[in-house]
Amino acid sequence: MAAIVSISDVYKDYHLDKVVVPALRGITLDVHHGEFISIAGPSGSGKTTLLNLIGCVDTATRGVVSVAGQDTGKLPESKLTDLRLNTIGFIFQSFNLVAVLDVFQNVEFPLLLQGKLSAAERRKRVMGLLEQVGLANHARHRPSELSGGQRQRVAVARALVTQPQIVLADEPTANLDSTTGQNIIDLMRELNQKQGTTFIFSTHDPKVMKHAQAVVMIADGRITGRTTPEAAALHAAGGAH
Amino acid sequence: MGQLFLIAFRNLVQHRRRTLLLGGAITGVTLLLVLVLGLTHGVSETMMRSATTVSTGHLNVGGFYKVTSGMAAPVVTDYERVREIVKHQPGVAFVVDRGRGWARVVSDTGSMQLGINGIDIRQEKGLREVLSITSGNLDDMAKKNGLLIFEQQAEKLGVKVGDSVTLSAPTPRGVNNTMDAVIVAIARDVGLLSNFSVFLNNDGLRGLYQLNPHTTGALQVYLNDIKQASQMKPKLRQALEQAGYTVMADDPRPFFMKFDTVNREAWTGQRLDVTTWEDETSFFSWTVLIVNLLSGLLIAVLIGIISVGVMNALWIAIRERTREVGTLRAIGMQKGRVLMMFLIEGFLLGLMSTVLGAVLSVVVAAVVNALNQPVPSAVQLFVMSNTIRFLVTPGAVTFAVLFLTGCTTFVSLFPSFIAARMKPITAMHHIG
Ligand SMILES: Nc1ncnc2c1ncn2[C@@H]1O[C@H](COP(=O)(O)OP(=O)(O)OP(=O)(O)O)[C@@H](O)[C@H]1O
Ligand SMILES: [Mg+2]
Repeated sequence: MAAIVSISDVYKDYHLDKVVVPALRGITLDVHHGEFISIAGPSGSGKTTLLNLIGCVDTATRGVVSVAGQDTGKLPESKLTDLRLNTIGFIFQSFNLVAVLDVFQNVEFPLLLQGKLSAAERRKRVMGLLEQVGLANHARHRPSELSGGQRQRVAVARALVTQPQIVLADEPTANLDSTTGQNIIDLMRELNQKQGTTFIFSTHDPKVMKHAQAVVMIADGRITGRTTPEAAALHAAGGAH
Repeated sequence: MGQLFLIAFRNLVQHRRRTLLLGGAITGVTLLLVLVLGLTHGVSETMMRSATTVSTGHLNVGGFYKVTSGMAAPVVTDYERVREIVKHQPGVAFVVDRGRGWARVVSDTGSMQLGINGIDIRQEKGLREVLSITSGNLDDMAKKNGLLIFEQQAEKLGVKVGDSVTLSAPTPRGVNNTMDAVIVAIARDVGLLSNFSVFLNNDGLRGLYQLNPHTTGALQVYLNDIKQASQMKPKLRQALEQAGYTVMADDPRPFFMKFDTVNREAWTGQRLDVTTWEDETSFFSWTVLIVNLLSGLLIAVLIGIISVGVMNALWIAIRERTREVGTLRAIGMQKGRVLMMFLIEGFLLGLMSTVLGAVLSVVVAAVVNALNQPVPSAVQLFVMSNTIRFLVTPGAVTFAVLFLTGCTTFVSLFPSFIAARMKPITAMHHIG
């Protein structure tokens, strides 16, 4: 099976005034269709940086990042935007919903940006997803009227509404209590298994990690291994002590 | 895209205080702009209407007759022949002849120096519509010593209908002559113009100035369309020259300001002069100009202040919503749409506020017009009328709404551009 994300020998430097901060130093990674992968590593190890490169919101200093067969370093900004809209779904740590739109409108928004579906089709798609994330009764609520877990479920629905090939989630559970966080990961796993959507999410939390199919360990901008969740959890727990 | 309007609108509602403050300011400027336009329009309208009946036609054929080179009299001799020529020009509706002069009007208790218009009441079609007679009867102007004055003059002179006054004036030959006139009608003031002039039976005026029956002051020409006046002017001059008259060089000033120039020239005999109503009232039009300049300046300053306000508010809104912008960019919104989103916010704020301002201005204008309150005389000088009258046209309202909405939208461009240039990566980084 062809890799949906293919990263080879990627470096990423940040320039802070005159100081160069190397965030990624030679990452090579393939992610295949339908995988449910966690990226784990200590704070500052480069998880967010890596997800940003895969998510086409940033470009590598060196090396090739290709998403859905396209070399993202060679695409102009408007094409990258299209790629993000049609191929990638995003779930953010702090939910990032549009405050003035209600739940239904937030989830519908990417479909409006695409402009492909009729109002009736959009409605069916959005309500179907809200059903799956258990928020069908909250369609007309504003984000401010929801709990953190509910908001993140809205964000999950929004990320999936365009039926993207990959969903990226940067610490999706970090702002949630552990039970709610587990529920979100369970929901993501369920959608992954039902629809075959590829999920890549980063986390610190061993409890969250263990739901993943595989865990990519990253430290200091380098991949240190690709292991099973159990081993990773053990490792993380050990590292914490 | 409808959702962008919804987001913009809801964000405006969300930040109620900021929106009300800015929107209120824009509403205020719209109100002011429409009222100022309505005022200057009203003033020009009033000026045109009263001027073109009280003291000038749409076009005038006047002129000077000089016995010696330094003694100019503002008369047209053998005017019937001139009238025949003028009457048959295309576009001419009707022609009246008016006597012209200055005289001291003396009553038992006071006296005033006034411009005298000699009229033949049977010819005066427009005068009946413009003058509203508060006492007496306009038809009595047919009497040879009939005099019509305005309310303010009647008050100053302490006279009423039926009273006699004495008119005293120098004749073209240089001697003083007097006549007794009877006040047959008193009319409501028509602004500044009515402060300086009265109407006297034309034959009475000829008697006062010892003019022969074939002499008059000027022919006031009324056209089917007043807008044609400046185009008609050279045609009329040409027609008169072809008929053998000497026509004075074009001089866009009222006749009473031309004596000095004419007296300095060496010629004697009759020369004709053709002027438009605008020439004859150019003396007054500076008021409209000043009102326009001052209000233009005021509005420019206010628009400047509002522009800074709108830019600033939008700039704050964008800073507050940095994460939202980053998020939307990350989930696939193109730069152009982000630009539109904020531009629409400025546009909506502008549109809603200006429409409200326009509605308010129409109400205020209607109320002020209905109150018909007399204004102090200093203001009267500016507004050319003794009451303030706003003439708010649909055109002026549309202009104010479009122009000010355009301004707010335009200044929104700059912050919106900055928002559109923000990188999606800020979505993950910006805290708050
Ligand atoms: N915008 C930036 N400018 C400069 N340096 C940055 C920037 N973003 C990240 N870095 C640096 O790059 C390195 C990797 O950061 P990154 O945010 O990818 O780590 P992370 O694994 O996501 O950490 P955390 O678990 O705390 O979220 C860190 O040393 C960080 O300080
Ligand atoms: Mg991070």
